[in-house]
Amino acid sequence: MTFSGEFFAFMALALVAIIGGVLLLNLNKVVHMVVALIFTFVSIAGIYILLSAEFVAAVQVLIYSGAITIIMLFGIMLTKPYDDSEAKTGKWRKILVFLGVVGFAFAVYLGIYHFDIQQVPTTLHEDNVLQIGKALYTKYIIPFEFVSVLLLAALIGAIILAKREDKEADKQ
Amino acid sequence: MVNLTKLYAVGGQITRIVHEWCLTPIDTHLKRGFDKMENAWLIPLFPLLSFLLLLLIGKRLKEASAYVGILMTLASLVFSILVLLERFSEPTYLYRFDWLTIGEMHLTAGFEVNQLNALMLFIVSLVSFLVHTYSKGYMHGDERFHVFYAYLGLFTFAMLGLVISPNILQTYIFWELVGLGSFLLIGFYYYKEEAKAAAKKAFIMTRIGDVGLLIGMILLFWQTNSFEYSEIFKAVEAGAISNTMITLTAILIFIGAIGKSGQFPLHTWLPDAMEGPTPVSALIHAATMVAAGVYLVAALFPLFLASKTALMTVAVIGGFTAIFAASIGLVQTDIKRVLAYSTVSQLGYMMLALGSAGYVAGVFHLMTHAFFKALLFLAAGSVIHAVHTQNIEEMGGLWKKLKFTAPLFLIGTLAISGVPGLSGFFSKDEILVAAWEGGHPVLFLLALIAAFMTAFYMFRLFFMVFTGENRGKQTHVHESPSTMTLPMLLLGILAVVAGYVNTPWFGSFLGDWLTDGNPVLGHGHIEGPAWIMAAATIVSLAGILLAYLIYGKRSIAPDWLSGKGDMLHTVLYNKYYIDEFYQMTVVAFVTGFSYLLRFIDVFIVEGIIKGVTGIIQGLGKLGSKMQTGQVQTYGAVAFVGLAVLVVIYALTGGYLR
Amino acid sequence: MSSVPASAFLALALILFCIGLYGALTKRNTVIVLISIELMLNAVNINLVTFSKYGLSPSIDGQIFALFAMAVAAAEAAVGLAILMALYRNKKTVHIDEMNEMKH
Repeated sequence: MTFSGEFFAFMALALVAIIGGVLLLNLNKVVHMVVALIFTFVSIAGIYILLSAEFVAAVQVLIYSGAITIIMLFGIMLTKPYDDSEAKTGKWRKILVFLGVVGFAFAVYLGIYHFDIQQVPTTLHEDNVLQIGKALYTKYIIPFEFVSVLLLAALIGAIILAKREDKEADKQ
Repeated sequence: MVNLTKLYAVGGQITRIVHEWCLTPIDTHLKRGFDKMENAWLIPLFPLLSFLLLLLIGKRLKEASAYVGILMTLASLVFSILVLLERFSEPTYLYRFDWLTIGEMHLTAGFEVNQLNALMLFIVSLVSFLVHTYSKGYMHGDERFHVFYAYLGLFTFAMLGLVISPNILQTYIFWELVGLGSFLLIGFYYYKEEAKAAAKKAFIMTRIGDVGLLIGMILLFWQTNSFEYSEIFKAVEAGAISNTMITLTAILIFIGAIGKSGQFPLHTWLPDAMEGPTPVSALIHAATMVAAGVYLVAALFPLFLASKTALMTVAVIGGFTAIFAASIGLVQTDIKRVLAYSTVSQLGYMMLALGSAGYVAGVFHLMTHAFFKALLFLAAGSVIHAVHTQNIEEMGGLWKKLKFTAPLFLIGTLAISGVPGLSGFFSKDEILVAAWEGGHPVLFLLALIAAFMTAFYMFRLFFMVFTGENRGKQTHVHESPSTMTLPMLLLGILAVVAGYVNTPWFGSFLGDWLTDGNPVLGHGHIEGPAWIMAAATIVSLAGILLAYLIYGKRSIAPDWLSGKGDMLHTVLYNKYYIDEFYQMTVVAFVTGFSYLLRFIDVFIVEGIIKGVTGIIQGLGKLGSKMQTGQVQTYGAVAFVGLAVLVVIYALTGGYLR
Repeated sequence: MSSVPASAFLALALILFCIGLYGALTKRNTVIVLISIELMLNAVNINLVTFSKYGLSPSIDGQIFALFAMAVAAAEAAVGLAILMALYRNKKTVHIDEMNEMKH
């Protein structure tokens, strides 16, 4: 393993991403949690660049750091998150889930640890967007169209779900 | 496996016999069909028919049920008499067919008419018929009148079936059936606690004996590969069974007889069985069923003869029971209990006779005893019917009031006491001779003393009931109806004359006939010294005289024996505390043991069950608690389960290895 | 050629996935649960992109899959939040342990 700049970049990005995740779990205020997650999302975009996926990185920044985070912040704003009523789930479940997660991580890590995949030179970084566009509009044209339908459905669904019912609106 | 074809064949054969029999003109029957021993199998079927009929329509017939029972037993009686007469001139008839075929083994069923069986058929059907007739008067007004007759029919069927069985297995089946009949009839007044307890006691105590019989039977089958009496005797004669085994099986079978015949130490149920209606006591617990033990020993007599030890056991138990029960009978105050102990004692006599190789004497006494004891019971029933009490201290002076019953009771008393000229005298004399000639001087002495006691307590009973002042409160004493007195009269006549079939004076007809063709059973008559007869006469007369002096003339105060507080009297009155002894030992042990089992059941078995149910319930509660409706919880549970699986998978083999 | 081994990326994805999973299963606030799920999706995306570069035959397909996954994730976030709003209107709470409609 050579200590190249690439490696340091990876280490830094990974560290920021993990710290963001840990903060998500440990911060008290909901808004702070979401903000902590922005760091993670941005670092993941950096990781994508390291993996020669510039376009995906850009989309990551737009969708996650931008859109989804904003939606979540709106969600927090529209609800009343600072309700300090007693939690119904006990300590035991947290411990159990923690142990389960650790066990799961351990089992998967056993698989990853000795995973030695071959590496061949790639051309992914050359005209990355061009390659994606070609693949998307030729090989993956039908899934692409389906995704547009899905997004439309999600759009309409979200509007209908979130809309106040008339009666309710009248009452309030 | 049951051979169905064979079963059909048997069924077909029975149908054919019945069919042919029905189609034959009556005069032909009279000439040929009726008096054939081949039709002996019909005898037990009549009471069975009576039982079934009364079971089905008894409720509608009410008191008319009696006529069904009487008619059916009369038919049995007629057939029995015909068979008996036929048997005098013709050889033994044996019919059997394969009942079960198991591999190489054939179990047969059928019927046999030999001398003993023919005689027993006659005795049983006669007493049964008389008791049926008698009960019509005695049970009059009882709510469950028809049930009583149904039970009587069942019992009579079982008893008649028992005495014509050609093999020990069939005997055993009917043996248990008579036990059932006895149980039902003792517990007839099931609403009385004592009757319930007595029925249970009778059933359980005879069952103890039956286990012995069953084991003996199985051992015999193991040794001889057959249940047939004839096969068993052949094997015994040929020496195919070792001596030890003969002794063992004989004693085990004798244990069955002990239970059924109320011999010491299983005698305690018989006096308690007197809780049943009095006709039942006469039929079952005096004349027939209790004699089944004697019959069994007599039927298997060649087997017993082959073992000196077994014979000795029979004789000793019999002799001891005779004097033991007689001594208890001396002080009892319940009229039926006195008779019950007298029965036990007389059965002991019969056993003593058989044990002394006096086959004829035993069977002879069985016959005479059946007559005079049935008479005594029926007369006692008539007395109870009249005064509505069983306590003899509340009776007295009934001679004038019961003009018919009293002389008959006197005849029975004279017969059982062994007064010369009556039936009991001859049979008892035979037994004493057999005991003397059999080489048991001690047992002979015991029997002689028991004879004295018998005479004494029977006349004590007689004097206390029929003479002196009336000590009871009953004013309205009436003689019984003719349905009750006529059977008594017939039995009275038989009690007088039955002895003359086998006497040292007019020839031993019965003995010769019984042993005819079976030299192994011994001689028809055993010659004994003349002084035995004299001694028997003297002791019985002495017993009567003593009873007269004490209870009749009252010149000797009765206190010398029956003084209250006297230790001997107390011991005798409480029947040697045998019941209490059993209560303290066997019953206490069994109770303790059952408590232990109950403890195990309650705390260990149920504990395990409760533990299991508790765990299951806990799991169920946990499951329902998890059913919170919260998606997150479900997800957590599912994920933890998956994690556990994945970890196990990774640790035990992994996916990369 | 990259000097960072594929297993490093996979391990990072694993760690992020586990953090997301833990958050999704333990956090009370429904918004945070949703965000945790997004984090898990991101971890999967890292895997997809990693395998598009590494291996014997690298291809653009992995990146395309990641894009599709992002599109679906965006739709999911929108619908999820809409459901959350509707629920909040009815129950006046965003706490996931007070939503037990599945019980009945």
